[in-house]
Amino acid sequence: MTWNAVARKDFEDAVRSRWVAGLSVLFVLLVAAAAYLVRPAPGESFSSNAVLNSIFIRDALVTTLVPLIALIVAYNAVVGERESGSLKLLLSLPHSRADVVFGKVIGRSGAIAAPIAVGFLLPALVFVIVPSITFDAASYLGYTLLTAVLGVAFVSIAVGFSTAASSSRRAIAGAVGIYFLFVPLWGAVQFRLRFYFGAGGAPSWLPLTGQEVLRMLRLINPTGSFKIVSNAFLQGGLYTQGDVNMQVSATLMLLVWILVPPLLGLLWFREADL
Amino acid sequence: MAAIDLDGVTKRFGDVTAVSDLDLTVPEGEVFGFLGPNGAGKSTTINMLLDFVRPSAGEVRVLGLDAERNSVAVRRRTGVLPEGYGVYDRLTGRKHVEFAVRSKEVDADPDALLDRVGIADAADRAAGGYSKGMRQRLVLAMALVGDPDLLILDEPSSGLDPGGAREMRDIVRAEADRGATVFFSSHVLGQVEAVCDRVGILREGELVAKDSIEGLREAVDGGETLSVTVDAASEADLEAVRALGGVTAASTDGGTVTVSCEADAKTAVIGALEEADVTVKDFQTEETSLEDLFIAYTEGTEVSA
Repeated sequence: MTWNAVARKDFEDAVRSRWVAGLSVLFVLLVAAAAYLVRPAPGESFSSNAVLNSIFIRDALVTTLVPLIALIVAYNAVVGERESGSLKLLLSLPHSRADVVFGKVIGRSGAIAAPIAVGFLLPALVFVIVPSITFDAASYLGYTLLTAVLGVAFVSIAVGFSTAASSSRRAIAGAVGIYFLFVPLWGAVQFRLRFYFGAGGAPSWLPLTGQEVLRMLRLINPTGSFKIVSNAFLQGGLYTQGDVNMQVSATLMLLVWILVPPLLGLLWFREADL
Repeated sequence: MAAIDLDGVTKRFGDVTAVSDLDLTVPEGEVFGFLGPNGAGKSTTINMLLDFVRPSAGEVRVLGLDAERNSVAVRRRTGVLPEGYGVYDRLTGRKHVEFAVRSKEVDADPDALLDRVGIADAADRAAGGYSKGMRQRLVLAMALVGDPDLLILDEPSSGLDPGGAREMRDIVRAEADRGATVFFSSHVLGQVEAVCDRVGILREGELVAKDSIEGLREAVDGGETLSVTVDAASEADLEAVRALGGVTAASTDGGTVTVSCEADAKTAVIGALEEADVTVKDFQTEETSLEDLFIAYTEGTEVSA
């Protein structure tokens, strides 16, 4: 078991890429801009949770940008090494192919977690200083962590593609396809279905009710699962209040997205000639 | 115990047979030179030892272990300089060696290794800026981590200047003196004859010769290379020549027939060619060198050594 050596090497390599430095700067700027836009009016005050919950951070930033960045950070993880030939160097050392795949998932997860951490924690300094914002440290750190988990889910999807793809062009096509499926397309389909089911209910051949279909659709999409978990968390009732079943399912769904794509990639990679 | 044991190994890529029914045993502690022209199947064979590719048929055992099922255990005790590798452009030389040390879970000093291969002064530079020769030295340093029982070096001298190639040979010899088995490939005989106990010559996926350098020298000793200028000769015309006693190898490019043979077989060779309706215009002889023999082995279609 040498995945930790692979993960460490991969993280050290990835954080030296211009992408990660650039993404950290972008994150700091965007979170700072969001905080500025929802700043309290003079004489008012509110909690840092309000900033997190604002549409700027939750929808615009986290659920549209984090998946995109995670896919960019990770799509080349394995196929890039295959194309450059460094995979031969890597596999000349005593790593199993599973060590390579899971080392990559962990290394690139670190590489997406780093800009997320910097992006959220630097602006937090401002929240701590400004007296009109009550800084809720536990919620803020927890939300940062959940955002990192969402990033990891998309890193895992991208590494899965990267492991099974024969060229980086295919890996990037897979990543872009997943992004469009889960981010714009999924929302559009859900939106239409909500009207359709609202008007006449689900067609009778479906074994599920319209509500159940919509719940499924929310769950399957990692960004949907993330929203379910993070909303409950910010409201202080994760696994205790509201639809607890849904929250547990959403948590498991995120776990499935983190584990299954690399495993599927590994099934193919184990049999492949380099 | 054999360090490397190939038994009836065949590797096909689609319709192309890269390695065909290869039997090869390299005993522990030996320095084995794996020779052959580019594209002969040397790298494919090495890739099977490392489980980079899997044989279509046959059995591959390295250090007594199944090369596919126990690949991690094999690579734990093996140092490798693979063919067609790339380095991590953004990481320094030292980071590369540190990665090898951590991967092999051993205690080793990266700086000492970089010093041994002669790039200690470049330890803190990103490997992306290294020359081909420096990369070759860097990967050799990674291979030497943990004093492996087996060194597998695929074309180790490529990219090195003559001085670098000599340093590489010195390291190979030192590793052999330590007790390591060294298996390395080359398409140039001159790079291996000074250090190898034995060589195997691979051509079009088949082992055409396997002998000690002394054995090869003996085969050559007193032998001559006969160059016969002819009107037109085909592979079929050479069958009769090869069947003659005293002939080691024969090849032709159509206009010239090159034959490695004992000095007293010359007349029989000319006779056999004329009998095959090949018009002999001219011929000359010279003493065969090892290089001539190697060329005869790797360019002819069949040899009887």
